[in-house]
Amino acid sequence: MDKANESAAQQLHKIFGLTGSQLDRVLAHALRLNPKQAFCDIYLEAGVLEFLTLDERILKNPSRSVSKGAGVRVVIGDKVGYSPTDHVTFTNLRKAAGIAADICQHAGDLSSVPVNTDSKNKGAVQAHDLYSLQNSPLGMPLSEKIALLQSIDAAARAYDPRIKNVTVSLAVDERVIIIATSLGNLVYDKRPMLRLNVQCLAQEGQRRETAKRGGGGRVEFSHFLNGELWQRYATEAAKEAVDLLNAEAAPAGEMTVVLGNGWPGVLIHEAVGHGLEGDYNRKGSSAFSGLVGQKVASPLCTVIDDGTMANKRGSLNIDDEGTPTGRTVLIENGVLQGYLQDQMNARLMGVAATGNGRRESYEHAPMPRMANTYLAGGQSTPEEIIASVKYGLFALSFPGGQVDITSGDFTFSTSGAYLIENGKLTRMVKGATLIGNGPKALHNVSMVGNDVSLDEGIGTCGKNNQDVPVCVGMPTVRIDRVTVGGTRS
Amino acid sequence: MKTSTKWEELAAFVLKEAKRLGASDCEVTIIDYESVDTSVRLGQVEELQGVAQGLSLKLCVFLGKKSASTSTSDVRRRPLTKLIRETIALAQYCPEDEFAGLPEKELLAVKIPDLDLYDPAIGAISPSKKIDIAKAAEAAAMSSDKRISGSEGATFSDMRRTFVYASSQGFIGSLVTSTCTLSAVVIASDGGEMKVGSWGVKNCKFANLPSAEAIGAKAAERALQQLGAKRVKSQVVPVVFDQTMASRLLSQFASALAGNLIYQNSSFLAGKVGMQIAATNLHVIDDPLIPGALGSSPFRKQGLVSRKRTIVDAGKLEGYFLDPYSARKLGCKANCGDTSNLYIKPGEQTPEEIIASVPCGLYLTNVSGPGFKVVSGAYSLGASGIWIENGKLTYPVNAITVASTLPQMLAGLQSIGNDLEFRSSINSPTLKFESMTIGGE
Repeated sequence: MDKANESAAQQLHKIFGLTGSQLDRVLAHALRLNPKQAFCDIYLEAGVLEFLTLDERILKNPSRSVSKGAGVRVVIGDKVGYSPTDHVTFTNLRKAAGIAADICQHAGDLSSVPVNTDSKNKGAVQAHDLYSLQNSPLGMPLSEKIALLQSIDAAARAYDPRIKNVTVSLAVDERVIIIATSLGNLVYDKRPMLRLNVQCLAQEGQRRETAKRGGGGRVEFSHFLNGELWQRYATEAAKEAVDLLNAEAAPAGEMTVVLGNGWPGVLIHEAVGHGLEGDYNRKGSSAFSGLVGQKVASPLCTVIDDGTMANKRGSLNIDDEGTPTGRTVLIENGVLQGYLQDQMNARLMGVAATGNGRRESYEHAPMPRMANTYLAGGQSTPEEIIASVKYGLFALSFPGGQVDITSGDFTFSTSGAYLIENGKLTRMVKGATLIGNGPKALHNVSMVGNDVSLDEGIGTCGKNNQDVPVCVGMPTVRIDRVTVGGTRS
Repeated sequence: MKTSTKWEELAAFVLKEAKRLGASDCEVTIIDYESVDTSVRLGQVEELQGVAQGLSLKLCVFLGKKSASTSTSDVRRRPLTKLIRETIALAQYCPEDEFAGLPEKELLAVKIPDLDLYDPAIGAISPSKKIDIAKAAEAAAMSSDKRISGSEGATFSDMRRTFVYASSQGFIGSLVTSTCTLSAVVIASDGGEMKVGSWGVKNCKFANLPSAEAIGAKAAERALQQLGAKRVKSQVVPVVFDQTMASRLLSQFASALAGNLIYQNSSFLAGKVGMQIAATNLHVIDDPLIPGALGSSPFRKQGLVSRKRTIVDAGKLEGYFLDPYSARKLGCKANCGDTSNLYIKPGEQTPEEIIASVPCGLYLTNVSGPGFKVVSGAYSLGASGIWIENGKLTYPVNAITVASTLPQMLAGLQSIGNDLEFRSSINSPTLKFESMTIGGE
């Protein structure tokens, strides 16, 4: 047993009271119908989530949830059996293995499908150390956390008397995951996560508006105190809410749009990220299927997914199949390079796994997902980009987006934006939806800024009813001919 | 009606233990479920997912006006006692909140009616039958038209769920429900472009599920109707929402009636009870007592009594969805913080008659994006559908936006279809709005 296996075995015993040999018996039970061609993994997870909300200056019903569970997966050819349990005992794991193994009865003809005899991942040691924390956020005194929430409330209200309410929440998530596979892997990872959210309500007469800011990552609690980050969240949320009170209706129709750096990278996540996930491309159901080597964006565009960035919300030391995460160039100078892969889709497509096999929790089987996905920086300054636009929209903050993988049609919404008139930001306009088509929209990227950054650590990505934390990012970007869904036609 | 003695006993243990350890009040919710998802793709089984054991216990303790909540899946007696201690310690940190507390006793359900929400036939379906049903749905979609070129598969899901709620006021309710769902997702292609179409139906009764063939055909129809879509110019036109889009809009409307948004004054409907908020043809009803319906429940969250309520009466807003906390803040009686079976009362016209009344406009069949802001009612979404000219559906349109504000849309609600169907817990017939802004070329 190597070092990684040894410490994983210790965690397994400490948290779940189980031994490696018990897991081996579960694996053997799962593979009994086809020990040669089937693959099995057991994913165990123990977590604590603490959630604090300050609303109307009052701490409301603080909560803490403790979860322990496991899921047994059997993969044979391109078929998957999965069974989770909320109560981890040897008996329940064996029961889950029996349920997951039922898939072997439906394996069908395996002669043309690559089966899982690959052992290149065997005994993989933990490749990264991206978020070991000296001080666990869960261990910080509640009084300090509550004091931070109160300071944010006060700062936001102090910004303007029109701020009538502030809702601040802090989520502290800490989980340990252990993965045992039939290829002999036994690995574990300890994953901290902090998320702070500030929402301000502004009111003037009958008009009311809200705006949000926040941040976090796999960081210590002091992250929010460094450089008074919390104060910036408070004042930015308050400012946007107040400014929106007097914003005009957004225009409707095609126009040039400039997106600010950071969180507007949700465009990249929706427009290309999802469409480049391996499962859709193996099945040929993505608008990007079969386009590797082809031009799918303007030559100014290089898109990267990187799960190895220290302390970022989308980072992982190992993915949820135990594969070390990596940095994958998806699009280079406009040309599609490849897809994001988990083990199964990589094997079936005959390529290497990229460390993007992720799941929301033990209740779900993994699938290819993004980590930290961004558009790389270019040459232009943000000022040059805005000055280049005669008439258009400068959009800053976004509640989120959505994409239809098959057609490539995507949507993302801005919560507030400024008109650009003759190269200058003039009036603020209310939020509107922006739409485009994945393989087409990035051809219209005409300027890329030199100010690339990731978002503050607020992203959550949903796919097939599974939510996982991610980061998005980009520099300031100019895109021509974007359809804006305002009400002013 | 099926109930659960085992979990009722556990709930009673938690309440007794919380009292013993110093809580002034306590409530506990236990959910135990089993589910199986059977997925096929291109005529073969692709994924089988079955829950070996699904269990969660949530408790909330009160120390006078202080409170805290915890949840766990470990329901052994000793770890539970430890968790109750921790919950009480957490509550001690919490400042007093004068509105905190369990619901007033007179609001609790006394009789628990049997609403026929459990179907033993669902649990009796064999694994091979589930596979056959899913295969039949996919096959029906694939064979309906040669332009159906691919499949994301079809899934049959079945679930059995036990729900127990008990509070230190003496309320204890337990309920076993079942559901089954059949869905299909297929791809239509006409040369270069691919369009995905999906359809799914969920029901408490296996016998009430539409045929696999009908579900497959509908998925294929929804994929095919998007082929050859064009864009249109930016313009202001009437928009007809099909049942699915109207139901989605109704759920966005309902989200603006949530008690916490009302007392925070952060919903566009705050302070609007008793006022005309929509055209007089609009009647919205929430009814938890419909036998066999997906949103039905013989008692509501926290043991509140189940009652049919009128939410909007002839365009006038009649009430909100208030949990006990929100209700106290607003000086009202709690009903329940959630919708049950929420629906718009059907009108007289058929969807065809409504479409025929539009000289030029959009029949909306799909939207995308978050696009709705509850504080202002601002509404802006990516859209696709079928263009209406001279009262007839002509060609599909996509890559456009549709925008307005909910207050304006409600005031301009011109027609309500006669096609109300209970396919989920929030349902609407076809709706026609007088004017919305289309963003296009």
